[in-house]
Amino acid sequence: MNGTTIGLIAVVVVFGIDIILLVGLVILKAVHRHRRANHEQRRAAYVAVLSRHLAFQHHTDPFGPDAADDDAFLDAVIDLRNIISGTEIDTLAGIIDSVGLAKRQEARLRHRFPLGRRLRAAVSLAEMGDEASAPVLIEHLNDREPEIRIQCARGLGRMQYTSAIDPILERLGHEVPWVRARFADTLVSFGTKATWPLVAYIRVNLGHDSNRGVIEALRVLGTIGDQEVGPTLSGVLRVASDPEVGIATIEALGLVGGPLAIRPLKYTFRSPDWRLRAKSATSLGQIGDPSINPVLAEGLEDENWWVRRNSAAALASLPGGTELLMMAVQSEAPFAADAAAEALADSGALATARNRFEAGEASEAEEALLAYVTTQEAVPA
Amino acid sequence: MSDAKKVLIADDSETVTTLLATALELEGYEVETAVNGVEAYEKGISGGFDLVILDQLMPGLLGLEVIDRWQQEGHKNRVIMLSGVDDDRTVVSSLDLGAVDFIRKPFHLPELMARIRQRLPR
Repeated sequence: MNGTTIGLIAVVVVFGIDIILLVGLVILKAVHRHRRANHEQRRAAYVAVLSRHLAFQHHTDPFGPDAADDDAFLDAVIDLRNIISGTEIDTLAGIIDSVGLAKRQEARLRHRFPLGRRLRAAVSLAEMGDEASAPVLIEHLNDREPEIRIQCARGLGRMQYTSAIDPILERLGHEVPWVRARFADTLVSFGTKATWPLVAYIRVNLGHDSNRGVIEALRVLGTIGDQEVGPTLSGVLRVASDPEVGIATIEALGLVGGPLAIRPLKYTFRSPDWRLRAKSATSLGQIGDPSINPVLAEGLEDENWWVRRNSAAALASLPGGTELLMMAVQSEAPFAADAAAEALADSGALATARNRFEAGEASEAEEALLAYVTTQEAVPA
Repeated sequence: MSDAKKVLIADDSETVTTLLATALELEGYEVETAVNGVEAYEKGISGGFDLVILDQLMPGLLGLEVIDRWQQEGHKNRVIMLSGVDDDRTVVSSLDLGAVDFIRKPFHLPELMARIRQRLPR
C-alpha cells in the first residue's frame, strides 16, 4: 500500500465517522423534539384536568397513576399555582397532597445525586409553595449545593413560612456573597414579619463573622423600611466600631426614614470618618425633611469632597434646598460654591436659570449662579 | 342559534386560557381563545362577543393597543383587562380606554367569575 492509498483510506474513514456523528445528532435532535412535543401535550392535558378540578370542586376526573412521577404534571401544577390565588391554592395543595407530588419531590431532593434532578426538585417545591414541604426546605438550607440552598430559602419566603426566618438568618454570616444576597432577597419578601428577628440577629451577631451577616441584615432592614427600627439602628451606630457596619446602618436609616432616623444621622454627619459623613448626607436627603437643610448646608464646607458633593445633592432634592445652594454659590467659601454649582447643574436649576436669563426674567441669585459658572468655565483646567 | 353568551379569552399563556375557558364553559358560556394580540384584535373585529377578557402583555400587540385600535376603528367590545403587570398606570390607562374592569394575576377564580357575570350585558 502506497502513501496515496493510505491517505485515501484515512479520508474515507474520517468522512464516514463524520456522517455517523451527523446522523446521530439528527436522530438525537428528532428524539428530543418528539419528547418535548409529547411533554407539552401531556402538560396541556394535565392543565385541562386540573382546571376542571379548580373550576368545579366536586370534579372527580383522575390524573392517571403515574402523574406524581411525570414532569409534565409537575409543570402543569406549577403553571396553575402561579396564576391562581385564594381558596384555589388550597384546592391545588389538596391535589398535590393526594397525588403525593410534593413527597416525590422531597425524596428527589434528599437523594445525593444527580444535581440537576435535585435542583429541579428544589425549584419545584419552591414554586409549589406547599407549607407541608417547609421542614424539608428548612433542612436543605444547609445543603452542600448553593443553588439548592437558594431555592429552599426562596420557597420558604414564597410560602411566608415565618418559622423559617431564623434558620435563614443563621446562614447569613456563613454564606458566600452571592448566596447571601439571595438569602437577603428572601428575607425582604417576608416584609415586616422579619423585622424583629433581624433586629435580634443584629444584636447577637454584631462584632462576629467580620460582621458579614450583620451588614446584610442591616440592608434587609433598610429595604423592608419598618420605621419601628429607628432606635435599634441608632443603638447600632453608637456601639459599632466597624465603618462598614456604620455605613450599612446609615443607609438603612435613610431608607427607613421617619423622625426617629434624623437624630442619629445628624450625629454621624459630624463623625471624624468622612465615609460616614458622606453617607449620612445622602441618607438625610432621602428622608426628605427640610428641617435638616441648615445641617446639610454646613456640609457644603466640609473638608472632604464627597461630603460636600453629597450634601449639595441632598439639598437639591429637598424643599428650600435650591435657595440655600444659590446662597452658597455667592459665598466666600470656594469649595462650597463649587459643590453647590455642580448640584444645581445636576438638578436642572442651572438650565432653568439660563432660560430665564435669556427671557430677561432671571433673579439676582440666578444671575450670580450664571456669573459663577461662566467664571469657572473661563478658568483653564 | 345558541342563547349562550360569547366570551373571548386572549392570553399568551395557554394555562390561563384553559383554566378560564373551563370555568366559563362549566357555567354555560360559549368560549373562544386567542394566543396573541393580533389574533385577539382580529377576532374582536369579527365581533359577536358579549365580553372580552384581555391580557395586557401579549406578543404582537399589547392589550391596551388592541383596545385602542378597536376604539379608533369603531369596534365596540366590552373588555375586562387581565394583567400580571401591577402598576397603577396600566390600570388607569385601561379604564380610560374603556375597559369595564381590571383584574390582576394571580387571580381568585370565583371572584373573576363573579366579575364576568356582573359585567356581561343582561
